[in-house]
Amino acid sequence: MIPSLRLDPRAKLVIVICISTLAVFLEKLSFMLALLVATLLVAWLFQLHSSRSIGRIKKVLSVIIFIAMLQSLFTNAGTPLLSIGHITIISTYGLQRGVGVLLRISIIVLSAALLTTSSSRDIVQGLIQWKMPYELAFMVSIGIRFLPLLAEEIQDTFVALQLRGVELKKIPMKRKIKTYSYLLMPMVSSVLIKGRELSMAMELRAFRAYPERSSLRTLKMKHMDYAFILLSLSLTSAVFYIYMHY
Amino acid sequence: MTNHLEISHLWFRHQAASDYILKDISLTIGRGEVIALVGLSGCGKSTLCYCIAGIIPRIYPGELKGEILLEGKPITEMTLPQVACRLGFVFQNPDNQLFSPTVEDEIAFGPENLCLPQPEIEKRVVESLSMVGMLQHRYKNPHHLSGGQKQLIALAAVLALNPEILIFDEALSQLDSRGKAMIQQQIRDLKSKGKTIIMIEHDLNNIVLADRVLHLKQGALIAYSGSF
Repeated sequence: MIPSLRLDPRAKLVIVICISTLAVFLEKLSFMLALLVATLLVAWLFQLHSSRSIGRIKKVLSVIIFIAMLQSLFTNAGTPLLSIGHITIISTYGLQRGVGVLLRISIIVLSAALLTTSSSRDIVQGLIQWKMPYELAFMVSIGIRFLPLLAEEIQDTFVALQLRGVELKKIPMKRKIKTYSYLLMPMVSSVLIKGRELSMAMELRAFRAYPERSSLRTLKMKHMDYAFILLSLSLTSAVFYIYMHY
Repeated sequence: MTNHLEISHLWFRHQAASDYILKDISLTIGRGEVIALVGLSGCGKSTLCYCIAGIIPRIYPGELKGEILLEGKPITEMTLPQVACRLGFVFQNPDNQLFSPTVEDEIAFGPENLCLPQPEIEKRVVESLSMVGMLQHRYKNPHHLSGGQKQLIALAAVLALNPEILIFDEALSQLDSRGKAMIQQQIRDLKSKGKTIIMIEHDLNNIVLADRVLHLKQGALIAYSGSF
């Protein structure tokens, strides 16, 4: 096993942007498959635990199958693979589009997971050193930090409801939607209270005292970081060139 | 003792409320004094402290009358960052006060906002964490610590701004007995260093730390008689 690459978060960001841009731009399955292999290689280089990313992709698999079916139902292109009467359920075109979406999502999720190998503080610091306004970079970091807390809050509200004897799995859809609407208000109010307390804590620690702020840590790019940025940009340009001309 | 904080004829009514929650409050707190503020839930203890910290009317809107002088200067003429350098606020729930991925970043947040040079920020991080006995947790994620430890980190983050006045808004209420003992010890230490402290308390066992106990009842401050 090779030692884990310790790159500046900005270099990782460039790699992620390059991979994601290619994933969005490329249409041909062969190119996308090659890009997925390249992304897996990068993930291996950074010793990224891909199992969590694969778990996330699994969750959207049903959506991808649904997209494949929609593409088959509403376009006449391709050879029908499964049909009921005159209605095509799955066609080669739909299947191709579905696989395309699956590959695209897999590449984006895997590449974005590269950023989890840096702390959110380092990413924010990197963005600030790239002259991004601090408030904006901080907002992103706070969003990431509070998402699990919000998920926990929603989970708690559901548990509280179930403890009152409401079995969400057994009640009909119409009542289920009505019940969810009841939960919306306490959840929104709890989020607002959390947000207000957080803003008070920040303001009382001199947030935005001056237009600029200093930093305990400063990130410094090394030769290796520049090499990876250059390599990523060159490879992305090369792939674009090949894709457009061949 | 010189006066550190002076409140005169303070009235406050929340935006949507018909009646005032604080009615003609006047209070003088001397330098190095520890005040405990007691009263029933919803009587306005936190509201009074929000007024003192300038959170009202800046974040919580409402009708505010009267005057609050912080070190002789009207709080209405100060910005919140200016208040933050003089007054630290420790809230009830440590989870809503901690937002950084490491303890070190959490403590450095305030000094960084003040644009202090890097060596000074480093010094303040080490000093604040040492003061609350949490230096060994410097590189940990604050959310992996116990409730008491989180509250100590929240306190250290406030201390990094070197305030002379500290407000503890039921800061002990969500802690177990060990966590409570940790924070109580810190309050004693801060008191011995001459810091002015205002504690909002429900638990009468905690008010033994105070030099003076004030009871907020029906919007007015009265002498504490031993029960709410």
